[in-house]
Amino acid sequence: MWVDLIITLVKIFFILAITVGFFAPVLTWVERKQSALMQDRIGANRADIMGFTALGLFHIIADALKMFTKEDFIPDGANKVLHTIAPIIALVPALLTFAVVPFGGQYTLFDKEVNLVISDLDVGLLFVFAIASLATYGYVIAGWSSNNNWSLLGAMRTASQMISYEVTMGLTIIGVLMVYGTMRLTEIGAAQEDFLRWGFFLQPLGFIMFFTASIAENKRIPFDAPEAESELVAGYFTEYSGIKFGMFFMAEFIEMVTIGALMTILFFGAWHIPFLPTATLLSWFDFLGATGSNIIVMLIQIGVFFGKVVFFIWFQMIVRWTLPRFRYDQIMNLGWKILLPLSLANILVTGLVILALN
Amino acid sequence: MAYYVNRNISMTWWERSYIPEILKGMWLTSRRFFYNLFGFLPFFLGTEKERRIFTVYYPEEQVQYPIAYRGRPVLAQNEDGMPACVACGLCEIACPAYCIHIEPAEDSGKQNQYERWPEVFTIDYAICIFCGNCEEACPEEAIFMSDDCEISMLDRKKMLYTKEQLLTPVADLQKRIEFTRNMYAKWNY
Repeated sequence: MWVDLIITLVKIFFILAITVGFFAPVLTWVERKQSALMQDRIGANRADIMGFTALGLFHIIADALKMFTKEDFIPDGANKVLHTIAPIIALVPALLTFAVVPFGGQYTLFDKEVNLVISDLDVGLLFVFAIASLATYGYVIAGWSSNNNWSLLGAMRTASQMISYEVTMGLTIIGVLMVYGTMRLTEIGAAQEDFLRWGFFLQPLGFIMFFTASIAENKRIPFDAPEAESELVAGYFTEYSGIKFGMFFMAEFIEMVTIGALMTILFFGAWHIPFLPTATLLSWFDFLGATGSNIIVMLIQIGVFFGKVVFFIWFQMIVRWTLPRFRYDQIMNLGWKILLPLSLANILVTGLVILALN
Repeated sequence: MAYYVNRNISMTWWERSYIPEILKGMWLTSRRFFYNLFGFLPFFLGTEKERRIFTVYYPEEQVQYPIAYRGRPVLAQNEDGMPACVACGLCEIACPAYCIHIEPAEDSGKQNQYERWPEVFTIDYAICIFCGNCEEACPEEAIFMSDDCEISMLDRKKMLYTKEQLLTPVADLQKRIEFTRNMYAKWNY
């Protein structure tokens, strides 16, 4: 009983540490540095402590200090309560999604089964979608309560865009569910031990569509019409400053990690190394005893999982700094006229193939 | 007359399917990314003399400007410490921005003695437009455009450079002197 509680607490702490503590701040630096490298610039490198710049990593500290010490401004005529809780509503779902996202397989440590997921729900995938769509409320409330035309426009765009692409996202996932026959994310991950049964090979179209839809869900370029700088100042968070703005910012980066994690679990073999089943990996470290080999394999597979996540984050950044923004009507066209029929066709083809194979 | 943009751009099916063209663009940007990420390595490991990345860490690193570059004008100083200038005032007249101010001083001009030199010679860089007319007008090869362009100040009054600040040894200006001789020779002065 106590052991279970401690294990769960350790897992929660690990997830919080790696998302809020590591990915969210470091990604601000990665975003600036990677865009700089892609455009033949140098990027952030001026913040220094005693002459050391550490490749500009101190900018993270500078940014955090700035966020915390800036004036927390609430505009005239704004709804103070909603204006304050909107960023929280936006940030919490982004963090909550990780409750069902597994970051490793099952291991036996000291005769105890350890499942590297905080809550192994049997409707895990549905939970992810349900929670992710909750974030829309945060954005819409933020836009509405700011008493600003730009904010409201951004909020409306956010709402319409997220609704359109959630449909595609949900329908795309049905193909994956048909192939693996489960909604439990740990089982989907475990089913991809064989390299050729990775979701990427079984659902190539689904992979592309899911990736597109999830970038649209995250409102990053090329789907950043809700916060288009050149049109709407900053969209729904125009009137936010200080740590509230930072929360929106953090939500975006944590959602990037979520997308990376979901892509990894659904399409890229989760924590598995290609052509290297867990049993083989365990047998290599047999000399360390049952617990020792399990710990080593656990660390390796957590590393592999987050390596894949980092790859997808890198990929999202490449997309963000390569493509121009879609026009609003183009976003809607792509969502309703191209991706939706394609995802339906994907379901049909998947069903026919499964029927033919049985 | 209204101007109409032709939006009927005919795309092939290949271009219309988005994905290959997007991948092409991302291939280009990610290639630049990796090139710049590892491009500094051969230089630091010593296998290559030149750095492959041409981006310069500006205040720490300086670019060598080409000799034709017109930075702030400076006064040539002879080996004995006197300015080469004879205070004829031609540069003062040639200056379109009126930023040069000269007050001459004279002596008898005996053996090994200067006959005429500027007592006061100031250039106000806050007004100077870096046209190079003063250099062109000078008959004595006394005023030259240097390669120094970093003359930003917090106070405009400090932009008014006196003779002592302007004087630069002739030895430092040799390249520019030769360049101006070649250039103005072409124009048949």
